[in-house]
Amino acid sequence: MSAAGMSGRFLAFSSEVTAFSVFDLQGTGQAESYLSTVLRVVGEETLEELLGAYARTAHRPRTLEADIFSSEKLGPIARNIIKLWYAGVWYALPPEWTESFGALENDGTFTASSGAYPEGLLWRTIGANPPGAKAPGYGSWAHAPIIPPIPGDEPARPSAAVLADTQAEAHADVPRPRGPQAQQAKETAQ
Amino acid sequence: MTDAKITTIEQLHAYLYAALQLEHATIPPYLTALYSLRNESNSPAWRILRVVVVEEMLHLSLAANVMNAVGGTPDLTAPDFVPDYPACLPDGEDDFAVDIQSFSAAAVDTFLMIERPAQAPRAELRLVPRGASARHLLAASPTAPGMQYYSIGEFYAEISRGLRYLSDEYAREGRELFTGDRRRQVTPEFFYSGGGEPIVVTGLESALRAVDFIAGQGEGLGGGIYDAGNELAHYYRFEQLKAGRYYQKGDQPGRPTGPALWVDWGNVYPVLKNAGLDDYPTGSELRRVAHEFNETYAGFLRFLTKAFTGQPELLLEAVPQMFRLRDDIRRLIRNPIPGRDGVHAAPTFEMPGVAGSAAGSTA
Repeated sequence: MSAAGMSGRFLAFSSEVTAFSVFDLQGTGQAESYLSTVLRVVGEETLEELLGAYARTAHRPRTLEADIFSSEKLGPIARNIIKLWYAGVWYALPPEWTESFGALENDGTFTASSGAYPEGLLWRTIGANPPGAKAPGYGSWAHAPIIPPIPGDEPARPSAAVLADTQAEAHADVPRPRGPQAQQAKETAQ
Repeated sequence: MTDAKITTIEQLHAYLYAALQLEHATIPPYLTALYSLRNESNSPAWRILRVVVVEEMLHLSLAANVMNAVGGTPDLTAPDFVPDYPACLPDGEDDFAVDIQSFSAAAVDTFLMIERPAQAPRAELRLVPRGASARHLLAASPTAPGMQYYSIGEFYAEISRGLRYLSDEYAREGRELFTGDRRRQVTPEFFYSGGGEPIVVTGLESALRAVDFIAGQGEGLGGGIYDAGNELAHYYRFEQLKAGRYYQKGDQPGRPTGPALWVDWGNVYPVLKNAGLDDYPTGSELRRVAHEFNETYAGFLRFLTKAFTGQPELLLEAVPQMFRLRDDIRRLIRNPIPGRDGVHAAPTFEMPGVAGSAAGSTA
């Protein structure tokens, strides 16, 4: 199975464990780089094992934790993939892992690519810019951070567009999403 | 073609509205090409596009300053303000399409045509009949339907002529042409960029300077490659990408002799040319996000309109909004369109509520 053939399943798994949509993951421009990073460190066979285990959880709710995150072998790798998306860094697998499954030649702590740091999901999650990169504009810090909604949790949290709307309300009638969900979000925002 | 000449204040306002439209219309194609570059390793192309697009934003602000100085109202929210792409620009007696597309040799050719110095060979050719094309043409004559300017340079030349003419007429009648509220001017403290400061327009001299600046920054001054601020004009900036070489002081047009410049033409996201929301699968997240982007962009144009109609200090807040638009555009462009075999998405710039576009529906 080539990297290209794995890419859809890698993204689906990544979306599940990061709580960012596949669109947002692709939007970082790092999907290919992260998949090749994981393949380079753990190898195709182990990644297949992880994605296979994930595929089997699809129709069995609550098995993700039992089958993957509690697995001595797959758990640390799954957690590393989350950290890779959030921080752009592959962290060396823990000593317990290497004791049980052997040291991997390409393992170690490193930044996945030059684009990984500014594209880390953690910055969007907290509504901040990566310091030193992706300039947010002078004075932008005077406004509340714009936090994207958590998938499946949209009604309770104002969307970025609505928040921007609220921020700019004093000056401008910026676009207003329609529909009951947007209305509810707007009320929350106020 | 006397009927195409600017002889009334209403006609001057119509021309200045067309100038605002024109300056804005170059921004979506330039931004899309810029953000289709996969990463900043394509740095010469990145820097050249970025400088040009920021200067187009300055031109938009200058056109607003001239409009305000003569008592007009810049309105970036009118239904026809954002063109339906491909937009159409004059090319002598013909016209050409301006596409929203990836950075490519074809895109740079279009950019060269946008910024090309083109003086009509004879005075009677400055304004020529429009061809059969039914498309909305930017830099058409707002006062003589069916006529277009030979080039953008000729379009601005008519605005300058009209400003001088009306200023004289008004003076003869003991009236003042430049009656606009001074507080509506975008002044340097509210405009943050390289590539020149906004010219505060308070009378004929500053109005002509602003118009010359807009035209000169595109195509150079008097046949030279530099503009009034001694900056390389846009046309020649783009030419460097084709030539693979930078211009330096003392160079002649068409013959850059500076350091070599490397363009990685293949290191680009291949976006769908002139994508519309209808190109994105119904119900997809891509379509929803592209639609939200259009709403955000329409809101941004409303915000700019407020800045240009009495609250210039809002331009400071517009900057973080522009950076967020940048991030939104890059997210869209990095996404392949489902089912399109590696062709990527792009912002569609279809303004919500405009008839004939799919912009009103996410379904």
